Amino acid sequence: METRPLGGTGHDSSVMTFGAIALNWLEQEGANQLVEHVLDYGVNHFDVAPTYGDAELKLGPKLRQHREEIFLGCKTQERTYEGAWRKLDRSLNRLGVDTIDLYQVHGLEYDEELDAITGDDGALAAFREAKEQGLIDHIGLTSHGQPDLILDALERIDDLESVMFPLNPVVAGKDDDEYDYEAVLARADERDVGTLGIKAFAGGSWPPTDELPEADRPFANWYRPVTAPDEIRERFDFAAAQGLTSVVSAGDPKLVTMILEAAADYDGMDEAAQRSLMERVRHDDSPVPEQLHH
Amino acid sequence: MDVPRTVATALEDQPVAGTRCLEAGAGAGNATAGLLANGAARVYAVTDDRDHARTTRRRVGGGNGGGDDGDRLAVLEADLRAVPLPDESVEFVTAHGLCNVLDPASLSAVAEELSRVAAPGARLVVDDYDPVPDGAAIGELFAVENAASELARGRPALTFYPSSFLRRFFAGHGWEFERERTLLEPVPWTESHVAAHADLAAETAAEHPGEAGDALAATARRLEGEIGSESVGRMYSLAFRLPG
Ligand SMILES: NC(=O)c1ccc[n+]([C@@H]2O[C@H](COP(=O)([O-])OP(=O)(O)OC[C@H]3O[C@@H](n4cnc5c(N)ncnc54)[C@H](OP(=O)(O)O)[C@@H]3O)[C@@H](O)[C@H]2O)c1
Ligand SMILES: C[S@@+](CC[C@H](N)C(=O)[O-])C[C@H]1O[C@@H](n2cnc3c(N)ncnc32)[C@H](O)[C@@H]1O
Repeated sequence: METRPLGGTGHDSSVMTFGAIALNWLEQEGANQLVEHVLDYGVNHFDVAPTYGDAELKLGPKLRQHREEIFLGCKTQERTYEGAWRKLDRSLNRLGVDTIDLYQVHGLEYDEELDAITGDDGALAAFREAKEQGLIDHIGLTSHGQPDLILDALERIDDLESVMFPLNPVVAGKDDDEYDYEAVLARADERDVGTLGIKAFAGGSWPPTDELPEADRPFANWYRPVTAPDEIRERFDFAAAQGLTSVVSAGDPKLVTMILEAAADYDGMDEAAQRSLMERVRHDDSPVPEQLHH
Repeated sequence: MDVPRTVATALEDQPVAGTRCLEAGAGAGNATAGLLANGAARVYAVTDDRDHARTTRRRVGGGNGGGDDGDRLAVLEADLRAVPLPDESVEFVTAHGLCNVLDPASLSAVAEELSRVAAPGARLVVDDYDPVPDGAAIGELFAVENAASELARGRPALTFYPSSFLRRFFAGHGWEFERERTLLEPVPWTESHVAAHADLAAETAAEHPGEAGDALAATARRLEGEIGSESVGRMYSLAFRLPG
């Protein structure tokens, strides 16, 4: 599988990152198998978080077995110094490892949160101490928030080494600043910050729960994903062709093999084909961008 | 509104800013939006369809978003075979998805008019579709639509001109060819496109009462269901310049 430099981290990430939330929906044995399967394809970047149910615990055994082959991203939604330290300790324990390669501020949504994490008593102070102590190697940030907020974060956090944000043909087709994640991508590239794409496989929102109760949804994703192999491939190719360092796989384990296949076969997507895909979803009028802000 | 990437791509290497533009065949207002977004001084968006004129005004001229766009936009309901503008009065002309709805006779008449209203040194951007490849399912639906149109009106509804044809054709009207690019490949004919073409075919067939019309309408409906959507073919963009 193709690899790309993750900004200035010195690590080359596989063009697909394994979204380890998928492990949450499997029993331990299935989780072990899925990790082996993902590694067989050459994926070397994993992404997990303490909020993904049991995913950290289920990743643990195979992560420890293959620790050298896996660049591990984890995150915290804590915004304070103390909270971040607590969650980092907890994640290290649950994963059963000594270090996390990339520790990310998870799901930044509001300006006040950026103020909080960058403040004296903020989460980043804890991240930096942890980095000095060798518990984490690199600092990142994830957000489905406004692109402006991520741009601000890129300005204000000097030691930021990766950003994770949504990018798909629906979002890319919107002109408003509110959807201008392409500007984030460009700015991150200028600053040599790694870029990780999420929501690449979002197809639309689920029908309202009175029409389709949550328990009857066929996929674990909180949006309706594209599910046909051709569509998955197109979506992967599109995201990877935008120039992201790596595209994070969707949260449902049923989709992972198709995404692996697409990632393994990736060899670019020409611009006319990218526009073709954007044009198609423009007519579908997919509601996904609205749903990003949840 | 969002400017479709096709339009943005067709215009990105063109000096639109500050020019007086003619958007020939306003349709959904997409190219109109692109011209305004690229800083056109004024856009005359011409269509012979009242609904399209209204749609263009609403989507592009209407307050939400670009507040001043209304002032730079004039939507004219008129026939492009007799454009209601003086000679040499515009510096930029777009025909985005227009030629395929013009039969050869209309295309000739429209091209005369575009050349007449264009000032020396003016630019022309023509975006359209190559003929649908053999074997494409959507081709059958277009065939039915054309058959219905031939029966009811004595002319085809759709003519897909190869880019090489339009290139030479406009050259014959005095336009110097500058460049060609591919806008879409494949072209996504979505369910809503397919449904719209099936509707048109059925409506046109109904203008020709009798067995043949009924059969064509039924075939259009059947094809709509069978095709669903299809991605096939190519959309291209040609840019020209008038000498002077
Ligand atoms: N993202 C949320 O805020 C959210 C809300 C309700 C439920 N969920 C749970 O997540 C499951 C499905 O995840 P998914 O399929 O939606 O993931 P996804 O978009 O397919 O993306 C895969 C990976 O990207 C991560 N990602 C997506 N949005 C992110 C963000 N805000 N910040 C950081 N990382 C992000 C995902 O974690 P994230 O899940 O953190 O996004 C996941 O690890 C659902 O079944 C649901 O239980 C998540
Ligand atoms: C497919 S639409 C073009 C799309 C449009 N350029 C856009 O950017 O959204 C074709 C348009 O040309 C108009 N048209 C076709 N023949 C015409 C004619 N002879 N005179 C004026 N308008 C014409 C149609 O009514 C329709 O509005």
